[in-house]
Amino acid sequence: MTERKKDREISRRKFLGNGAAGLAVMGLSPLAVESLWSNPGWRNLGVNPETDLLIEEEVLREAVKLLIAKGADFGDVYTERASFNSFTSDDRKINTRTTVEKGIGFRAVKNGKTFYAYTGSFDPDEIFKTARFVADSASGGASGEEVGTVKMLLNMTRQPMRISFPFNPDPGNVAVQDKIRMLQGLTDRAWSADPQVVQVSQTFREIIRHVTLAASSGKLIDHTLGLTEFMAGTYMKDDQGNLQRGGDGRTVYAGTDFFKGKNSFESIVDRSVRRAKNFLKAVDSPRGNFPVVLEAGGCGVIFHEACGHGMEADLVAKGSNFKDQIGKQTAAEGVTLIDDGTLPQMPGSFNYDDEGTPSERTVLIENGIQKNYMCDLIWADKLGMRSTGSGRRQSFRYPPIPRMRNTFVDNGSMTPEEILENTKRGLYVAQAGGGQVDVITGNFMMGVTEGYLIENGRKTRPVKGATLSGMGIQNLKTIDMIGNNLYVLPAAGRCGKMQSAPTGEGNPTLRVRGIVVGGKGEAWSDTEGGAR
Amino acid sequence: MKFNKEYYNLAEFAVDKAKNAGADSVEAYITDTQSAEIMVSGREPESVNAYRDAGIGLRILKNDKLVFGSSNDLSKESVESMVSDLIKKVPHHTPDEFNVIPDKALGTLSGSWSDYPDLISFDPQMVEIAIEEKIKKAVALEISSFDYSPKVKGSMFCMYMENSQIVYLVNSNGIAGWYPSSGCGGGVNVIAVDGTEQQSGTQMSSSVSFSGFDAVATGRKAAENAVKMLGAKPIESCELPLVIAPEVGMNLIGIIASMASAKSVQTGKSLLAGKLNEKLAADSFSIIDDGRLKDGFGTAPVDGEGIARQTTPIIDNGVLKNYMYDCNTAIKDGVKSTGNRTRGNYQSSGGVGPSNIYLEQGTYTPDEIISGIERGFYMNVAFGLHAGIDQTSGDFSFPAAGYMIEDGKFTSSVRGISAAGNLFELMKSAEKIGNDLTWMQSAGCPTFSVSNITIGGV
Repeated sequence: MTERKKDREISRRKFLGNGAAGLAVMGLSPLAVESLWSNPGWRNLGVNPETDLLIEEEVLREAVKLLIAKGADFGDVYTERASFNSFTSDDRKINTRTTVEKGIGFRAVKNGKTFYAYTGSFDPDEIFKTARFVADSASGGASGEEVGTVKMLLNMTRQPMRISFPFNPDPGNVAVQDKIRMLQGLTDRAWSADPQVVQVSQTFREIIRHVTLAASSGKLIDHTLGLTEFMAGTYMKDDQGNLQRGGDGRTVYAGTDFFKGKNSFESIVDRSVRRAKNFLKAVDSPRGNFPVVLEAGGCGVIFHEACGHGMEADLVAKGSNFKDQIGKQTAAEGVTLIDDGTLPQMPGSFNYDDEGTPSERTVLIENGIQKNYMCDLIWADKLGMRSTGSGRRQSFRYPPIPRMRNTFVDNGSMTPEEILENTKRGLYVAQAGGGQVDVITGNFMMGVTEGYLIENGRKTRPVKGATLSGMGIQNLKTIDMIGNNLYVLPAAGRCGKMQSAPTGEGNPTLRVRGIVVGGKGEAWSDTEGGAR
Repeated sequence: MKFNKEYYNLAEFAVDKAKNAGADSVEAYITDTQSAEIMVSGREPESVNAYRDAGIGLRILKNDKLVFGSSNDLSKESVESMVSDLIKKVPHHTPDEFNVIPDKALGTLSGSWSDYPDLISFDPQMVEIAIEEKIKKAVALEISSFDYSPKVKGSMFCMYMENSQIVYLVNSNGIAGWYPSSGCGGGVNVIAVDGTEQQSGTQMSSSVSFSGFDAVATGRKAAENAVKMLGAKPIESCELPLVIAPEVGMNLIGIIASMASAKSVQTGKSLLAGKLNEKLAADSFSIIDDGRLKDGFGTAPVDGEGIARQTTPIIDNGVLKNYMYDCNTAIKDGVKSTGNRTRGNYQSSGGVGPSNIYLEQGTYTPDEIISGIERGFYMNVAFGLHAGIDQTSGDFSFPAAGYMIEDGKFTSSVRGISAAGNLFELMKSAEKIGNDLTWMQSAGCPTFSVSNITIGGV
């Protein structure tokens, strides 16, 4: 059962040594009695998101006051209640998974150091106890009576929402069996698309998170985030026994209404089939250093890895390859790189970040010159910059860190057709896959999940086994053609940096010269000039 | 961290409620976890996150249909709501005649699971040690890398983390018990600078006990990796004999292991399907999954559905001998479970995967392997393996770094190249296996050599 000892009987050592020991896990809060356990919708979170906070404002105010009462520079209380509903189709069987989570994260920051703990209880006594524990640990072990001045204004101001993220239809109004029926139809579509299909795996997921943030700055933010995801994987086998997988997916802050046109569920399934089929008839990718044309949308993830991470303020401060580059040229002339958290419905968008800073459009590189980095409050301070609204956390279990939102290369002036026509021989990447970066050297790598050879200015045979790698800044300087067809793709998946977060990526069609293509095929070199 | 009767009772409560609500079988899985994560930068702690987390996962079987739900709300009211919601959802699932919540006949341990000391990987001291000690160790990880050389100018990432956990598993078919486990470890990614050149080096290590994690050695090794890389250059595209360091090898072994999951095999997603008893690798190549390994990170009395952990040869002297099974896949193939139902915490319904997976060590010292090579490449950095290896074809291409071997000795450092090939061809061309089996958490590998790899360079 929950510990009911007097707060001061539990020393700092014991608190930290035992974690938030006994805090709450068995706690019974008034809200917990209401059932989250039904097909979730707004109402089922137990609150009305239009009016109700997860925790009473009085309680939040007191908790924040306690957090910073022992000398912390600032602090915040992050309350979350979430439901995760997955529908998975695999091997012609459909199953569901339902997870309901709630908790409160407490952060106190002192001299740039973060002290963090969380509890699963919404009971005010437990909330105050955890807040005091964190305050104590941030104060360096000072115990006894609360000292120091309370720096915050105790008038919390509820922040207005400027961007709307419609979540239609309300998942709570759609019966479970209807969702299963929809998924069944999509699974059947993949199975019947081609006689070579040997397996189909699809996941449809709805995540609803109701978050209340109360910060010592006096900000009070309350929002409900509805994320819908669909991922399709299709496996195909040819007569020789070669097996290939094709995949596609979308993650959006919107309801199923979003999934229309080129984002329709059916088109996602069809692309997964096409990619598997392409791989079966593909040639081994050539390897070496030659022109690579990146199709609009699906290749933005390359910039996420190649340079995005290196521009996150914590990594900059610690010495990434983008450190001390403000005002210097870090990309070819004409290249503008933007990280934008205000694009409606995109997976990296939100009104306020997870420490209360309004989201914004941040120009990182403008016409080849480094302009800014992505900052949260702590690292902005360390770099002498300002927060760009980039402090994000995975859940109440984590303190915020600087993260990307929706990262993309802005438009140039060429048409995509011109770019292709002016490339004699190279690789055309329609969709890049997962990747990784070493931010110290800028060395990055990226898989290619749909790619083609470029021969005489035309997209020809599909390739398999291609990977892209290179060095961040060096590669950005070799972008020599930029299209006018920017597309920010709400691709499925998560960015992992100690914590996972949905992000968007985008680009217009563009051409890069300095990327190393890896593959099992023949060695190619950059023998032609193409148009400069 | 101690057995908590209330959690055990709650698991029984959930099972009773679900049975009463009409379930054919039900299983409650509660995990109680105590953790610490300490990030360090500039010789000081950057963040300290200490917490305790518990929750319940429920699997309910009715008419061959299996539903899963989980929550960290452990009030009885919440558990009751969860049961009634899952009972409402289960009729809409697809039936599978092989769905099962196991009974004792499928192979659990007799008596209390916590009474098998050889199968418990748990350091009871870990949660008792003061956080200050842990912070000291985390800071030592970074400082030892700085002390290695003045060329080490900072760290990009330095972290210590630990987990102590008690699992409570109760099902309606007579399997019930609990056991503790623990693990800690850390890693540091350091920056070495020479003039305008900047290089990185990483090292991680782990241990079941707090005292077993050697922060200083780990930090020094990371620094050595970074400093040695200074001056690294790409080489020309070529084909060369390859020596694979344990740090890279264990990732490759992990990927091969995932293909040996009976789930992947049965659903046609694995290239190992239909290849049982085929020779897939060199004679010297043996991969073993050992859920009973003394002090192994993945060692436990039972797996994620209460079946006894076992030792299973996957590849034996180059021949594929076994797949890894849980009860569902085993019944489908008419065999016995190998105790490979994996499960992290209460949020996971489980899957089929390795416990402690390793490449069996050979007799050669790493020096003997290297000295036998006239011209070759020693690979101790490979990244983006999850994106660079196609798990359906086994083809791979990923960026790599390491050292050139010339006349049996390391000469220059290499970065900016890619290594390409096929995982199966690589296993077949394995030559000398080292005697330096090295573990990182639940994957182990010694140094080993293969006859040939394609290098994509300048």
